[in-house]
Amino acid sequence: MNNLPEDCIAMILSLTTPLDVCRSSAVSRIFRSAADSDDVWNHFLPADFPAGFAAPAGLPTRKQLFFSLVDNPLLLNDTHLSFSLERKSGNKCYMMAARALSIVWGHDPRYWHWISLPNTRFGEVAELIMVWWLEITGKINITLLSDDTLYAAHLVFKWNHSPYGFRQPVEASLVFLADTESTDDVQPSMISLTQDPGCDEAQSPVLRRDGWYEVELGHFFKRRGDMGEIEMSLKETKRPFEKKGLILYGIEIRPMP
Amino acid sequence: MSEGDLAVMKPETMKSYIWLQTADGSIQQVEQEVAMFCPMICQEVIQKGVGSSKNHAISLPQRVNPAMFSLILDYCRFHQLPGRSNKERKTYDERFIRMDTKRLCELTSAADSLQLKPLVDLTSCALARIIEGKTPEEIREIFHLPDDLTEEEKLEPLKNTMDDPRIRLLNRLYAKKRKELKERERLKNVEVEEHVDERSVDDLLSFINGRDPKVVKMSKGKKKKKKKKDQKIVSSNDKESRDLHSKQQCVEETGSSMREVPNLPSAEDDISTPKAGSEDEDIDDEIDPAMRELLDREVEDFAQRLNSNWVRSLGQERRPVHFSINGNGTTRRHTGMVSIWLHLYKRFLDIL
Repeated sequence: MNNLPEDCIAMILSLTTPLDVCRSSAVSRIFRSAADSDDVWNHFLPADFPAGFAAPAGLPTRKQLFFSLVDNPLLLNDTHLSFSLERKSGNKCYMMAARALSIVWGHDPRYWHWISLPNTRFGEVAELIMVWWLEITGKINITLLSDDTLYAAHLVFKWNHSPYGFRQPVEASLVFLADTESTDDVQPSMISLTQDPGCDEAQSPVLRRDGWYEVELGHFFKRRGDMGEIEMSLKETKRPFEKKGLILYGIEIRPMP
Repeated sequence: MSEGDLAVMKPETMKSYIWLQTADGSIQQVEQEVAMFCPMICQEVIQKGVGSSKNHAISLPQRVNPAMFSLILDYCRFHQLPGRSNKERKTYDERFIRMDTKRLCELTSAADSLQLKPLVDLTSCALARIIEGKTPEEIREIFHLPDDLTEEEKLEPLKNTMDDPRIRLLNRLYAKKRKELKERERLKNVEVEEHVDERSVDDLLSFINGRDPKVVKMSKGKKKKKKKKDQKIVSSNDKESRDLHSKQQCVEETGSSMREVPNLPSAEDDISTPKAGSEDEDIDDEIDPAMRELLDREVEDFAQRLNSNWVRSLGQERRPVHFSINGNGTTRRHTGMVSIWLHLYKRFLDIL
């Protein structure tokens, strides 16, 4: 290995994972130099960035860009979408803001109102005052995502001081609307937004590090060349009582571990 | 094909050969189609017209030693035949690549200098698989690499490797501590101004022993500060020390209690490389207050367990920290604290 030129080492490192490359910078001087080189990190950065992506200023090396995108999701211009990378693989992750979703009755201030909360990456989140017809849908173009990766969509939310009406599971569905095929009727799955052990099969929410909850709406595998949209939705329109108190941050789409 | 066969076949098939000279000076002839599989040789033949006779043998790059060259020739001989199926090639490659790491490295180097990309890809991939998942020490051992980085340089990548909240908290605390130490140093420098130039070695020695009346005030102050620091490390009253505690505790117990550590929050906007100054103030603000309470509770739980463990392991480290005879007491203490942190990081690094 002592005879290998640095660019050979860089080539070898680019065939490993970001984690291995970071570890390699602690091996020896030449490894460190290879591990920090732009060639290696270019390999982990996506080949194509989404529209509206503007690389943050002040990051001269590709490695810095990589970690900046991992740790600090970037708001894409003119969309209510944030973009980041998954640490282990460099796969693309997105979060759709509540404003990017279509929320039935969301425009009506009697039912939903839009507030700004600190420590959130979007300008607004949606707070549910009261509604009978709860239907939230989000659509994302599948070409935005990384190839050959299994993704999951999570609803990110929390509760205000007085939630009501969410003890029972609600319907969630995730459908791939391919350009070429027509979609059959998809059976929604039941998920629970509260942690009550009411329904054992239902997916239940998990507390994230940032203090919000998330629950999986569904998952899908993106193959190279897939075209079309992924439609994710949450619905509770069957039960004749009101729902209150949900604060909706958005829907996060990221690779499954 | 054996030498004998070659000798018999030559006149009938009228094969052309290329003459090549390896780094050790020995010259051999290789079938043209095999040798031309290497772009570098191809280039030499076409551009410079060499290789057609013994006197005009192509000099191979120094990185190509005879043993590697014969391996490369085997590879070329197999792959240059167009009739082989992909499956055959793949099987051959998998068997070909089975050799010890040292030879793999030499082979990569040789193939690279001959610009034989498919072989470089093959060997690089094999080496990448070897490197994956290994710790830096293991990598150094496998490849016999020199250990030529400083402690701090070795620990720097840690910040980026794990998404672990403990690391982030450690980083924050580290940054905080550094800032505090700088503050203290600044304050101390203000105090020290009156004394610094007048102190002789004797003065310093007695300062250390806390007996000199001239520096009693300062030594007391220093002692107090030292004590405070000790308390910070050992006691569990201070909130910060608790935090400090728990994080160190987390480090100590990574092996067993990885699952026990709570889902500690990390701020949305936390940048893993702590910058000096302003960022530090924002550190704790970014934790959701509810999560902070959770954190504090968990910290209290761990606080008791930490004490003996921490003090014991720290015992050796602390003794050289606080006393120095070079008159630069403050700096030494500073770097002493830093070295404690580095030690912690190192433990963590070993676990990677």
